[in-house]
Amino acid sequence: MAARHRSWGQIHLLLACALVAAVLLSLSIGSFYFSPAQIFRFVGHWLGLAPIAPEEALDLNVFATLRVPRVLLCGVTGATLGVSGALMQGLFRNPIVEPGLAGTSSGAALGASTVFVLGNTALAFTSPLGTAAVPVMAFVGGFLATLLVYRIATLFGHTDVLALLLAGIAVNAMCNAGTGFLSYIARDPQARNITFWNLGTFTTADWRGTLLVTAIFLPCLWFILRRGKDLNALMLGEDDAAFIGFDPDKLVFRLLILNTLIVSVATAMVGVIAFVGLIVPHMMRLLRSSDYRFLLPASALFGALLMEAIDVVARIVIRPAELPVGIITALIGAPIFLWILLAYRRRIAT
Amino acid sequence: MTGIVLDQASWSAGGTSIVAPTSLAFAPDKVNVILGPNGAGKSTLMKIAAGRLRPTDGRVLLDDRDIFAIGAKELALRRAFLSQHVEIDFAITVEEVVLMGRYPHFARAPGHEDRRIVDAALELVGMSARRRQIYPTLSGGEQQRVQLARVLAQVWDDTATPAPRTIFLDEPVASLDIHHQLQILDLIRTLPARRCTIVVTLHDLNLAFDYGDRFVFLRDGQVQAIADDSVDISPNLIRQVFDVSATGHNDHAGKRVLRFHL
Repeated sequence: MAARHRSWGQIHLLLACALVAAVLLSLSIGSFYFSPAQIFRFVGHWLGLAPIAPEEALDLNVFATLRVPRVLLCGVTGATLGVSGALMQGLFRNPIVEPGLAGTSSGAALGASTVFVLGNTALAFTSPLGTAAVPVMAFVGGFLATLLVYRIATLFGHTDVLALLLAGIAVNAMCNAGTGFLSYIARDPQARNITFWNLGTFTTADWRGTLLVTAIFLPCLWFILRRGKDLNALMLGEDDAAFIGFDPDKLVFRLLILNTLIVSVATAMVGVIAFVGLIVPHMMRLLRSSDYRFLLPASALFGALLMEAIDVVARIVIRPAELPVGIITALIGAPIFLWILLAYRRRIAT
Repeated sequence: MTGIVLDQASWSAGGTSIVAPTSLAFAPDKVNVILGPNGAGKSTLMKIAAGRLRPTDGRVLLDDRDIFAIGAKELALRRAFLSQHVEIDFAITVEEVVLMGRYPHFARAPGHEDRRIVDAALELVGMSARRRQIYPTLSGGEQQRVQLARVLAQVWDDTATPAPRTIFLDEPVASLDIHHQLQILDLIRTLPARRCTIVVTLHDLNLAFDYGDRFVFLRDGQVQAIADDSVDISPNLIRQVFDVSATGHNDHAGKRVLRFHL
């Protein structure tokens, strides 16, 4: 494999270059088309280098208020899901976990839905939080769901795959039923969007939400990327991680909180996007290594790259309408998940 | 008193006593063998002594300091532990696994010294040729040897005046064929000369008597006897601990070999 000969840093650099290319593509393609030259002029305008022609003012407005936040939110969400998948696989010590399967996403979606539907009635106590109530309740929902799955699947520091998948199915079903119930009783037309938003979409991206997700993601990412060695050590099991100088209890707890935080906030903004957290780290493992010092940054970069590519497809495939990205990720991701599961079962059998 | 000492340390779970109050010092720079039937509490006793399980009562001291007051990183430089079976579900190479033993020694990237020690440890267990192989594709015995290399790399000290260290080995040869059993035990036998105190559990009594210096007999979480010479171990003690009769024979080299019957 050619990738064998490249160092980790080189692969990260290649992924970063590909991500830049994908971002440029994503900035230009959509219901409005912006040529690279035009994007260049907009950037020049913001930097105060050259004012744009008055007839381009509308284009600039669309670009600045709709396209740019969407592309940024898409990239941050992809990076969140990629890094979260790698992280959860490390915490559960199992390569077939991701936030969608382990209940984090659906728990967060249920938490967020409660604010949408019950924010003025049963959950009026959250109103002092203002617009922050949605991400806060998403975090609470995501955390409780993840904790429940983790506690059921992990006994004495060992995670049972079957128990994990079954607990994930049950918790997802519970959360989806809750979200479905809420969308059914909802009167407000905006609350009916829950159904649509449950599939994951970037159409609602605005600057406020995008900046919130980004501002929470970046410091968490910084902390998570520094825990590569710790997650490697955890591959050995909790006892052996402790024997080489790590505190597994503290590590698992802290990373589970951070993971739930980034996934919940992203879910509160864009809805549930399944399987990205599974296939991204898996492809990066195949590409080079399961060493988390390589895997975490690679999964963040490739997650963002893949999400941008999928969102471009979502924007053009049924033009002029748009597909929710969650449909595309499930369509591609579910068969890949089955294939990974099969490969995993074969390896266990031999 | 130097090294690791248990002072009336006990451990119980859910009201059931697993290890009775035990006071025990391991002979420094010797091979200490813990012997006992399944479920005697051998692994639990080792985890208490290694500072992983906090005793329900009593204390564990390392060089007269409470072992739980020592930071995890510092402790990792002075004692290592080989678990019975380490399963890894991820595609990671043999040398990356061994490098984990060096984690307490470097912050972000391994240095030349760490690389050199990984090489030397792999060489010592005879796994150098497999260094780039993916760990889960190895046989059980090979995995065990890689884990031993990791543990050795963790407390590696080939300076002229090595610091005292303790290495715990929980059934290190259980999954190995007889050739590799002897090879690994020969290797373990050389470690006390490098100021390593070895604490090891073994199931084969004849192997234990060949390679051990001090023998701790454990049954039902209680130390039954401690012997510093295998000739002191009577058939009565073996019956008391293992529920078997033992008869000694001298082989042609004049070495005492035990045979067992129910």
